[in-house]
Amino acid sequence: MTIDERDDAPPAIPEVTQEAIEARAFRVAVAAFVIAVAGGLSAAWGYWSDEDRVLGVGLGVALLGIGFGMVSWSKYLDLDENVVQQRERLRTTVEERDDFAEEIKLTKETVGRRKLLTVLFAGSLASLAVGFIGPIGSLGPKPQGERQRTGWGEGTRLVTSNGQPIPASSQIFDQLATVFPEGSIGVDDGQVVLLRVQPGLLTERTIERGAIEGWVAYSKICTHAGCSVGLFGIDDRKPDTLRQLVCPCHQSVFDPVDSARPIGGPAPRSLPQLALAIDDEGFLVSQSDFDRVVGPISWTEGET
Amino acid sequence: MSDETMSPETAPETEATPAGDGAPEPVFKEDRTLVERYVNNVTGRLGAGAWLTKTLRKVFPSHFSFLWGELALYSFVILVLTGVYLTLFFAGSQDTLTYTGSYAPLQGQEVTSAFNSVMRISFEVKGGLLIRQMHHWAALVFMGAIALHMARIYFTGAYRRPRDLNWYVGLTLLVLALAAGFTGYSLPDDLLSGTGLRITYAIILTIPFIGERLAYLIFGGEWPGTEIIGRLYPVHILIIPGLIVALLALHLGMVWHQKHTQFRGPGRTEDNVVGERVWPSFALKSIGLFFLVAGMITMMGALFTINPIWLYGPYDVGAATSYSQPDWYIGFLEGSLRLMPPWETQIGPIVINNIFYSGVVVSAIIFGGLYTVPYLDRRFTGDRDEHNLLDRPRDAPTRTAIGVACITAVSILFIGGAQDIIAKTFDIAVGRVTTILQISFLVGPPLSFFIARRVCISLRDRPGPRRTERESPVIRTSTGGYEFLEPIDSDGVPVDQRSTSNGNGAGNGAGNGHDAGHVSTDSSGSPREVAEP
Repeated sequence: MTIDERDDAPPAIPEVTQEAIEARAFRVAVAAFVIAVAGGLSAAWGYWSDEDRVLGVGLGVALLGIGFGMVSWSKYLDLDENVVQQRERLRTTVEERDDFAEEIKLTKETVGRRKLLTVLFAGSLASLAVGFIGPIGSLGPKPQGERQRTGWGEGTRLVTSNGQPIPASSQIFDQLATVFPEGSIGVDDGQVVLLRVQPGLLTERTIERGAIEGWVAYSKICTHAGCSVGLFGIDDRKPDTLRQLVCPCHQSVFDPVDSARPIGGPAPRSLPQLALAIDDEGFLVSQSDFDRVVGPISWTEGET
Repeated sequence: MSDETMSPETAPETEATPAGDGAPEPVFKEDRTLVERYVNNVTGRLGAGAWLTKTLRKVFPSHFSFLWGELALYSFVILVLTGVYLTLFFAGSQDTLTYTGSYAPLQGQEVTSAFNSVMRISFEVKGGLLIRQMHHWAALVFMGAIALHMARIYFTGAYRRPRDLNWYVGLTLLVLALAAGFTGYSLPDDLLSGTGLRITYAIILTIPFIGERLAYLIFGGEWPGTEIIGRLYPVHILIIPGLIVALLALHLGMVWHQKHTQFRGPGRTEDNVVGERVWPSFALKSIGLFFLVAGMITMMGALFTINPIWLYGPYDVGAATSYSQPDWYIGFLEGSLRLMPPWETQIGPIVINNIFYSGVVVSAIIFGGLYTVPYLDRRFTGDRDEHNLLDRPRDAPTRTAIGVACITAVSILFIGGAQDIIAKTFDIAVGRVTTILQISFLVGPPLSFFIARRVCISLRDRPGPRRTERESPVIRTSTGGYEFLEPIDSDGVPVDQRSTSNGNGAGNGAGNGHDAGHVSTDSSGSPREVAEP
């Protein structure tokens, strides 16, 4: 193989012979394989000397080197070719069809002769399938209203995730807290967002549904797809101050001063409101469980 | 016709004669050459005769767009290899323990075994993070390659008879790949993946009649339960990959048996395949491609962080983060959830919840639509013929326009999945971005349909440049041999000598006249022995 050194020629006339292309490809292939070897060895070195980057990059270089090497090799060999191959027939011939029809006829005359046996065989297989449905049912219990109940009840204290009850006299306004029913901290369906706003801001129905002294509590589970409604924002641009509860997943927006009705995004329903009271020691408690299911509803839960 | 001896190492006297002509079976001496050992030990025992030779000589047409499927295949290989490694460390359990690993910010936190094991892979196992990130990047490449491959099949009409059967197989592979991606992405039990599972639970819950029961069966009770990670694990590492391997074998087997489609060009007909032989031409390049893909994915795994679960932290029921986007291939569904207006429908006692529309109905429309593509094509074009020659997208303006419209719709959903990021980046209210995207979703597809159709029609009716395919000097015979024809140029005129390529032949097939040389030279550049027809 003679290597044509045309690369040194002035670039004015870009005339490249096939030989020059092949020679170049040969050189690239040699270089690529050499680099691949270096890459593999440096990967090994990287592993032993705890250099994770070197390990990864070394392996990458080794693999890329082999890849470039093989492609250049095939370029050097100049393997591009146009070979013609005839396709075989795919359509069924009349003879083949008739042969198969013969098989079906044979089946009907032999296996299919006794209808009773055929039916019983199919029936026994079906019963087997029915029999196996039982164990599938063990994968999960039958729903028995767990989703309708949460940890809240009459007089349940609202506690933070580290167990602190909330004194109703707290003067922190416009700040969101995540609370759980006392005794079920960290349980999904009991999570509630608690907020205190100036009592005058709350709408009539919000107060009716259990706001107390400006405290409002809503289920934290978005009625859209069940994410935690964890963002609270105040937009105080003129003319009005707007308070919003926002779900970070799909950007549903709820109005905390108006019983958390949905005011934007895909959520169709308001967040269930937790009716609040204040116990003898001055801590916030719930009056009862939520009056409806929290989170997204299933197909039977549309009445409220 | 006689068979041509393809390799100088193959002694002509050992070449099997074409079957069925009554010739006595040749007797081979016990010889230590590779050929003799292969013939004596393998084909002679399996009756495989010409099988390997035929396989090596199979012809594949080449075109850059045929590469996507290979890319998908190779990223799957990488997924399996890296996945097996990860399996050796991963714990598919939601038992809680206190994190005591080397990542300081999480020390002392209650985490699940699953999360803990992924943290261990990322921080304690030497090279573990590399393999984990390679696995994740390979999954993203895998889905991208599948999407491009499917687009290529659609826009060239390759899904038509006889390959409509393989369209269904390929589409099922896409669905399985999505399932593999989603289950895998959920396994680390970090905050993002937990949020994804929570949404999935909600979507299942809203399915009429069976929703609640089904959600309980899958999750082992009310959300979050303690079962789901342990269940997703075998699904992710055994059931789905098993199905993918089985269907992939079927997919490739059908491509092999039906032979690949090809674009139109001189010498190319519905009845032949013009291209390069598997060995050495196609195989060398394709195996090279495998290493290139593996190298790129390794580089990405080594240099670019992906899914940093240590930043997200373990799943916590009371938490969710802003800018929580899933992996890109779930983006359309995320966008569908975000862009759907707050609809809820009451039909008698049944409530159809908002996320049933955006989660179930939208997916059903997308995948149902894809499954009916071959049927709809037959129904509306009345074309039931076999097609081995591909259309250029412009050759079928309506088909192309429908494809473009669908891609537009899905892309708008995809963008919708990141509507909060767009709002932040451009400082627009999220609600406004949503509204703009909702309107685009209605207007975009018809508009892009119209534009794409017009463009196709103008392109189709315009006299284009000369076709760039090369001439075809070799014909493969039905017995696996080759016949050499007079090389012809693209006008069908024989060219009887090799012209020097001068670098300007790229746009014109006739310029690459050295083709004729390919069949007469072997790798060492010396003339190859050619049996006369």
